Amino acid sequence: MDKQTVYIPRLASTKERFAPGHRACIGCGEALAVRLVCKALGDNVIIANATGCMEIVSSQLPYTSWTVPWIHTLFENTAAVASGMESGLKAMNRKGVKSLPGVKVVAMAGDGGTSDIGLQALSGALERGHNFLYVCFDNEAYMNTGIQRSSSTPYGASTTTSPAGKVSVGKFSWKKNMPAIAVAHNVPYVATASPSYFKDLFSKVKKAVAVNGPAYLHVLSVCPVGWRSAPELSVRMGRLAVQTGMFPLYEVENGKYKLSMDLPKLRPVADYLKLQGRFRHLTQDMIQEIQRRVNEEYAKLKEKAA
Amino acid sequence: MVTLTIDGREVRAEEGKVLLEVARDNRIDIPALCQHDSVAAYGACRLCMVEISRKGREKLVASCLYPAEEGLVVKTDSPRVIHVRRTVTELLLARCPDSEVLQDLARKLGIERPRFSLEEGNHKCILCALCTRACEQVVGASAISLANRGTARQMATPFHAFSEACIACGTCAEICPTRAIDINDVGDTRIIVMPNVTMEFKLKQCSVCGSYWAPERQLEHIIRQAGLPDNAFDKCPDCRD
Repeated sequence: MDKQTVYIPRLASTKERFAPGHRACIGCGEALAVRLVCKALGDNVIIANATGCMEIVSSQLPYTSWTVPWIHTLFENTAAVASGMESGLKAMNRKGVKSLPGVKVVAMAGDGGTSDIGLQALSGALERGHNFLYVCFDNEAYMNTGIQRSSSTPYGASTTTSPAGKVSVGKFSWKKNMPAIAVAHNVPYVATASPSYFKDLFSKVKKAVAVNGPAYLHVLSVCPVGWRSAPELSVRMGRLAVQTGMFPLYEVENGKYKLSMDLPKLRPVADYLKLQGRFRHLTQDMIQEIQRRVNEEYAKLKEKAA
Repeated sequence: MVTLTIDGREVRAEEGKVLLEVARDNRIDIPALCQHDSVAAYGACRLCMVEISRKGREKLVASCLYPAEEGLVVKTDSPRVIHVRRTVTELLLARCPDSEVLQDLARKLGIERPRFSLEEGNHKCILCALCTRACEQVVGASAISLANRGTARQMATPFHAFSEACIACGTCAEICPTRAIDINDVGDTRIIVMPNVTMEFKLKQCSVCGSYWAPERQLEHIIRQAGLPDNAFDKCPDCRD
């Protein structure tokens, strides 16, 4: 999968649904992820987009980057709006108002809008079983308001509301396992993806919109500004996150786990952490602690996928 | 720009743009298997046939090849078009009964079983030539081609043996609409299974992290084409500075 990166990308559609000219920062992994997801979704789609980086950078009046129908929602109600759209489409079909065959409803939100503020609306939508896809673009903090920690921020990361110092290690708790929460709702499809593995991302998006019922996709989006990393390394960082086991790629179809990549040996997490300023203060002991936790979580995941 | 009518809808399109693209731009779906944006149109699968009428005369054309013209009236769902689409699907399915893509298409068109006798053991290839076109136009390797004529026609490597020109990039497997070409990486080897031949390629090992990250032949091809030093790809992209 990751060994086919030179010629196969040339087969991807050249049509952009998330148009260039938006205000995303240099090296933004989230803009890349949104662009690739939109490419995989095609034209027949309605998107509900929570407040967050992508809404801010893509829709500055009077301009827009979106070439598909797009609704901006609040932080907390993205999944609720998507539920309404899906029900509305169904009702229109049933009452013969207008038939819109094959229209896909997609909700997009950041990690704050998913794992913190929008969690209850998402949980409700997953439980009710609406036929929609929820994509979480996880850049591991509230980046657009100035790098405040979210529940998706990893352990030890220094942010403006979890600053590292003499008494603080940075964020003191571990990253919330959002895909596992989605799996717990017994939805037909849950997956994690990274824009650094575009082919895998493409096939997961296509699979997710094809299932009948709710689907959840968790996409790691490297944020050079908030992670204090070099913008030219965004794609490599996405790969390192996967190869170190910090963000393993897997899919869960009807409760059955499957690892997307065969990693015989994980890279040391230090390879990934040392490139980021937000982990600069970590001592060897803390890195060892993170390594231990990553190994443990990865072993658990492997067991589930066995 | 020209104005034409598709399924009763008046649409505007760039002159010379093919009907299939114009229809898809306007969210009118026409099935097609041998069409891909990254290679030149070819007109092999005949699934995209539409009915056009000009000056009172009607005829069937392949929409992936026919350019948009002023005043053209196009029907993509007339009884004649549906009939032809069904027949083509039946013929393709009779050729490749194991293909999931064709089975899906047949189900959508309400075909339970093709009326023609089913062929056996032809490995899902519908001879759309997407693989050979991509190999030539996208990769520039021309390692595979279509051989023979008529019923003996097949996708093949030269002399049905290991293709010396193949760089193992996997583009043919990716573009194949019916997944007739299989590609698999096992340890340090990439195995490409084509309908008539199976080829094995060595993968290059990274000198730092030891992972097998790309086929050796592909890297040699890039070094040759770009005039790079021989050791340009000793390290994988993640271990390079």
